[in-house]
Amino acid sequence: MNRQAALSQSAALPKPRIGFGGISLILFMSLAAASWDFILSDKDSGFASFFRVETWAGAGAFLTRFLGVNGAEPPAYLRRERWADMVGPAYETLAMSLLAASMVGIGVLVTFMPAARNVAMGELSASHSFSSRILFFLIRSVYIFVRGVPELVWAMLIIFFLSPGILPGAVALGLHNFGIVGKLSAEVVENLDPRPARALRAAGASQLQMLAYAILPMALPGFLTYLLYRWEVIIRTTIVVGFVGAGGLGREFRLSMSWFQYTDVALLLAVYLFLVIFVDLCSAWMRKLAR
Amino acid sequence: MFMLQEVTKRYPQGVALAPLSLAINAGEQVAIAGPSGSGKTTLLHLIGGVIQPDAGDISIDGRSLSRLRSGRELARLVGVIHQQHDLVPHLAVIHNVLAGRLGEWGLMKSLLSLVFPQERDAALRALNQVGLPDKLYQRTSQLSGGEQQRVAIARVLMQAPQAILADEPVASLDPARAEDLVRLLTQLALSTGRTLVSSLHSIELARTYFQRIVGLRNGELQFDLPAAAVTVSMLERLYDLQGLRDEVEVY
Amino acid sequence: MKSRFTEGRNILTLVLLAAFVWSLTTIPWGEDLIHAGGGQAFVQFVTAALTPELSPTFLQRALLASWQTLAYATASMTLAIAIGFPLGVVASGVLARRAGARLTSIYGVRLILAFLRSIHELVWAWLFVVAFGLSPMAGILALAIPYGGILGRVYAEVLQDVPQAPLHALRVAGASEWKVFLYGRFPMALPDLLSYGFYRWECSIRSAAILSFVGIPGLGYLIQVSLIDLKYSQVWTLLAFMVAIIVLVESWSNLVRRRLAA
Repeated sequence: MNRQAALSQSAALPKPRIGFGGISLILFMSLAAASWDFILSDKDSGFASFFRVETWAGAGAFLTRFLGVNGAEPPAYLRRERWADMVGPAYETLAMSLLAASMVGIGVLVTFMPAARNVAMGELSASHSFSSRILFFLIRSVYIFVRGVPELVWAMLIIFFLSPGILPGAVALGLHNFGIVGKLSAEVVENLDPRPARALRAAGASQLQMLAYAILPMALPGFLTYLLYRWEVIIRTTIVVGFVGAGGLGREFRLSMSWFQYTDVALLLAVYLFLVIFVDLCSAWMRKLAR
Repeated sequence: MFMLQEVTKRYPQGVALAPLSLAINAGEQVAIAGPSGSGKTTLLHLIGGVIQPDAGDISIDGRSLSRLRSGRELARLVGVIHQQHDLVPHLAVIHNVLAGRLGEWGLMKSLLSLVFPQERDAALRALNQVGLPDKLYQRTSQLSGGEQQRVAIARVLMQAPQAILADEPVASLDPARAEDLVRLLTQLALSTGRTLVSSLHSIELARTYFQRIVGLRNGELQFDLPAAAVTVSMLERLYDLQGLRDEVEVY
Repeated sequence: MKSRFTEGRNILTLVLLAAFVWSLTTIPWGEDLIHAGGGQAFVQFVTAALTPELSPTFLQRALLASWQTLAYATASMTLAIAIGFPLGVVASGVLARRAGARLTSIYGVRLILAFLRSIHELVWAWLFVVAFGLSPMAGILALAIPYGGILGRVYAEVLQDVPQAPLHALRVAGASEWKVFLYGRFPMALPDLLSYGFYRWECSIRSAAILSFVGIPGLGYLIQVSLIDLKYSQVWTLLAFMVAIIVLVESWSNLVRRRLAA
């Protein structure tokens, strides 16, 4: 084979693959068409109102009230004492997110290894014991159920028996994300190179020793990365969970909305955005440390 | 020490080992040579109890391998070194070395050792023997390939099995490092009186450092002789160098 | 002996532990952590799981609500793609030839995308409902905007991470950046774009279910109504529908993504 032909082969464009992905895309598009049709054809879908002048005038009015122009008093985000008032709720919100992330971390560390297929029933298990299979299915089912229920619904359920505060919010966020990080971490274990673990077993290690010396150290960076990514999502969801009573900035948000104090809402959103940026930066820094 | 009788191993792709009989005495140093795909790894895995033969019997010190129930018993008899990926890259060297003792330690001690390393002096001694005393607390992934292989040897020393099996231990190393490592391995085995069975693709290393060479080709035993008795023509036939030379000329 | 490798990792461990302990101190530990009456209500709620509401009329309502949730999620996704894909292309900077234009396009658009996706869809929904009234368009926009932001960011990275050799070949053959994009970058990135798109669609269904708490038709709205009426059996049926629909979409999405990755 001459060199020219070999070079051009390596630079050749891969053939675009259709097949299953394409069929799914077509299915999705038909679903999308059906969805739009359903929404638009509904008489009181309000779609028509979207194009009426009154709607946009109303939106404009809201925007001016939101930004506080032409207001009776100066807007909240320009008053220092209102910023000071927000420190407490912001502190609570950050604490809520950390509490939730800690719960996720501890919960996943305890459960993710038996939840990996290769540990429970594959190449890394001592034997295909019945109990390890059951444990695998049990943990995976808990993961699925717990992440199938949205955080908001969990919060509403937990508010039942925990007094409003940051704890119910943290538990709700922690439960939901426990399922997500658990599944992702188990997949990290499933994708690990089995050779170091097998070498340890050959050296005489038991199943548990192998988990502690090979699996855990090798899976830890991946687990931490997923945990820190989810922390970024958690901080964004605290405002939602706070709305149903969990406290922090979310509660303030609901109060301000119900009192029509829109400039306070603007201030809250600004504080909230600062929190989000702060957490994003911390998460990125910690993820770099985890490598 | 090892006795293989009419051992056969078949894989879906074909026969890996034809009926093979082999006896290795305690304290011997045997090199297994042969081209790729000749069954060297399969033979080592059979001796090491990693896989079971389809026919025939393997025994260690008179006891049949298939009768050994526990991995820990096997670990006292046989220690294995691979070409790569034996060690956990994220752990410090000391933990990888101490891992050789996991077969003797209980769970609590093993877990405690991850935070407060137990038997540190023994680990230091093992690392001294392989020439890496200053790497005790370094992260294993930071070491070079040759250094990592020496850590693997240190781990086997901690494990203190009766025999050491090495599967292409120097294949990933450059010739100078490879020779250093083979010299180290054979010296250690000799000085501690351990049996050593190693597959090698470098014939010069096999002839220089091992007393006995077993030649495998296509899963069959070609020869089993003291190193000095192996001739060039035997090696050519083993690796089919004659045929290769013809191919090169045509090209 | 001082250990060198412990620096980065141990700092992280300490920081994580400290954060955890600090967060624990902010909980108002005390007797009124747990509701007195709440315990009873909770037991009632849990036992209602054994008797989910299965009457045909209710099941029909639940099915309709599931379809509504699905429809809203899908419609929002189409809008999210319409927002996210163009923004993603600009944010990847692959079309800009000159360095200056590339930098402004990357950083400027990325800032916008970050802002869009930092605000939770429910917050967008509340704002839109106040601004536009309780119309489905409010809900669709509320979902499409943050999702557009997320899609834009990920799509930008996918478009950037495409193998360079084939693109170089096209450029050498004289193609403009646009042609390089159309014939090279886009087709190669397509499997990953589709894969992430399906993943986001799966997430959008969960989000749409939650959005309906704001009043938009869907499963969340029914759950809220049933909870307020204390009809726990109904809540369990609806939760089952919600989990079922999410698991279905998740399975399909996983299948597609596995096939696309192969």
